[in-house]
Amino acid sequence: MKGYTRYFRNRILWYLLTFVVALVLNFVLPRLMPGNPVASIAAGVTESLTDQKAAAEMLEEYTRAFGLDKSLPEQFLVFIGNLFKGDLGVSFRRYPTPVVQILKESVPWTIALQLPAILTGWMLGNLLGAIAAYRRGVFDRAIFPAFLFVGAFPSFGLAIILLFVFGIMLRVLPTSGGYGFDLIPGFNLQFIASAVRHYQLPFWSIVLNTIGGQAIGMRSMSIYELNADYVKYSRFLGIRDRRIVGYVFRNAMLPQVTGLALSLGTMVGGALVAETIFSYPGIGSTILSSIKAQDYPMISGATLFITVGVLLANLVIEILYGFIDPRIKANQQE
Amino acid sequence: MADYILEVNDLKTRYVTRFRENVYAVDGVSFKLKEGETLGIAGESGCGKSTLAMSLMGYYFPPLHYTSGSIIIDGREITGEDPEVLRRTALGTEIAYIPQAAMNALNPTRKIIKYINDVLVAHNIRLNKKELREMAEERLRLVNLPVEVLDRYPVELSGGMKQRTVIAISSLLSPKILIADEPSSALDVSSQKLVIKMLLDLIDKGLVKSMIFITHELPLLYNVTKKIAVMYAGQFVELGPAHESVFEPLHPYAKGLMGSIIVPSEGIRDEHLVAIPGTPPNLKAPPQHCRFAARCKFRQPLCDSVVVPERFASDGRLFRCLLPEAVLRELKYEDQIKSKQEDAEVELDVNIIPFAGDNGDGDSGKESGG
Repeated sequence: MKGYTRYFRNRILWYLLTFVVALVLNFVLPRLMPGNPVASIAAGVTESLTDQKAAAEMLEEYTRAFGLDKSLPEQFLVFIGNLFKGDLGVSFRRYPTPVVQILKESVPWTIALQLPAILTGWMLGNLLGAIAAYRRGVFDRAIFPAFLFVGAFPSFGLAIILLFVFGIMLRVLPTSGGYGFDLIPGFNLQFIASAVRHYQLPFWSIVLNTIGGQAIGMRSMSIYELNADYVKYSRFLGIRDRRIVGYVFRNAMLPQVTGLALSLGTMVGGALVAETIFSYPGIGSTILSSIKAQDYPMISGATLFITVGVLLANLVIEILYGFIDPRIKANQQE
Repeated sequence: MADYILEVNDLKTRYVTRFRENVYAVDGVSFKLKEGETLGIAGESGCGKSTLAMSLMGYYFPPLHYTSGSIIIDGREITGEDPEVLRRTALGTEIAYIPQAAMNALNPTRKIIKYINDVLVAHNIRLNKKELREMAEERLRLVNLPVEVLDRYPVELSGGMKQRTVIAISSLLSPKILIADEPSSALDVSSQKLVIKMLLDLIDKGLVKSMIFITHELPLLYNVTKKIAVMYAGQFVELGPAHESVFEPLHPYAKGLMGSIIVPSEGIRDEHLVAIPGTPPNLKAPPQHCRFAARCKFRQPLCDSVVVPERFASDGRLFRCLLPEAVLRELKYEDQIKSKQEDAEVELDVNIIPFAGDNGDGDSGKESGG
């Protein structure tokens, strides 16, 4: 057990290092974009001013207020200092709303969409892969290739096809938004029903895109495990086929857990695509409009949040993995 | 109580490949074992030894298929029984198997004790935790394993420990017959001895009534088994008491096989090791005449044209060769049947069975193989 703890201490140190590097990049990269975001904000205020000098002063005032008059390293120190206080700054685009406030509004939408969608896609994919390997027949020859085909679509392509078929041709599902535009978010039946209807297209576009990729891994792992020596031995010991299939799929699932960790990492890209195409509220839409407006604090804040999320998800899976696969644990102890 | 604990009559099984070809890996094997007797099966790689081991279980799953013949364990014919009944009432209890690759035979993600419980539950034996542990610990002690093994995963055990664990699990339900397919081939010589001794102990303790060893380690075989069979191309070419089979083999192939190994004791002298040139026949379409003819030093013209039946020597040993017993007894593998005249003098003392298509499997094999 001692080696195991040491292993995790090492892992956690690596994750911390990754986090620091990501933090620097999250801060620096948006600020390297050409253009001056303050100019456009100030322009809105100074429009009515005829006095050029007053307008210039106003711009300077804003620049100072946002801290953009300082050098980049100085700005970074301020950013880090505020970060410890849980303050990610103020959004330029939606001045004076704090970034944390905007994150609080958009993150639940993203998590509520992506996490269930990825988990569902992962589970369905594994199920399909396992059945294709064990039952073969129509599952292996038709359903599995079909999902592979669908999964190979670029995610925006699939999203647009779904949008077109269900939203425009069949008109059974709404094409955009997280809920009816005439509703006020609240805990009532009408709002929930509307949210559920709006949820369908983005959700299934992610699920359909995930299944194929997961199924292919599960299928080959299952075939490999089905031919393992312990299957033959267990059969000759008279163990029931159902139980042996249980062994096989449990063992075949293990590498798939890594697949899940990787999927969680792609949540960011998935969020951007699905949320943009379906105009779904969430962190993806927020990032997109922040980039357009060169909203540095918002971009840094949102990417920071994603970084932390992905790192945490991976760490949790890595720790879990040690517990569900004794072989990993045995290796870690050496 | 039947006369024999195991009776196998003309057992034939085959593999069906992906391309629907038949591979006749066990093609007419018969033998009988009394309680307490052990049989060793030897032969070169690919002669069907391991397939025979699996075929004897009576439980077939693809790619192995049953063709014909019968297996009778202690008076109960298991061939033709419902697989589910067989699974529950015969596998592990009447007949059990120790696989060739014992190293990978255990599910890597299941603790030994849980696996043992799975085996028991599969036969409708439900024990509570304490009973289970007591029973498992007792079985582990039989094979000199520490009881801690029960709470380990197979990956945490050494090769030798896994081997012994597999032996303990295979003999868990006190099977009447235990088939060990190369139980020791992955171990060093001293561990091999230990494993063999452990297996024989199981008979002495009455947990197992009879045992079949499959190995190419002949020196091990003749020391521990009562009978030895030599297998070639899916058939027994020789079956007799261990000592005679090793030191005075009758069949030319057995002579070559025994000549190719060093058997300690009885004067190794400065004998030369021999090798048998050529390779075994393709079992997709085995020859209908003598299967060894193509590689046989003592081959006679008739060998290529008649079916060779199982023949029995004066002392009851089985051999599958057309040459007379007396000639075979005198022949050494190094010898030659020299001149043409001498050749002609060797009289084949069997009723010549004309080469005919009565071996139905061979025929269909050719059809489906082509």
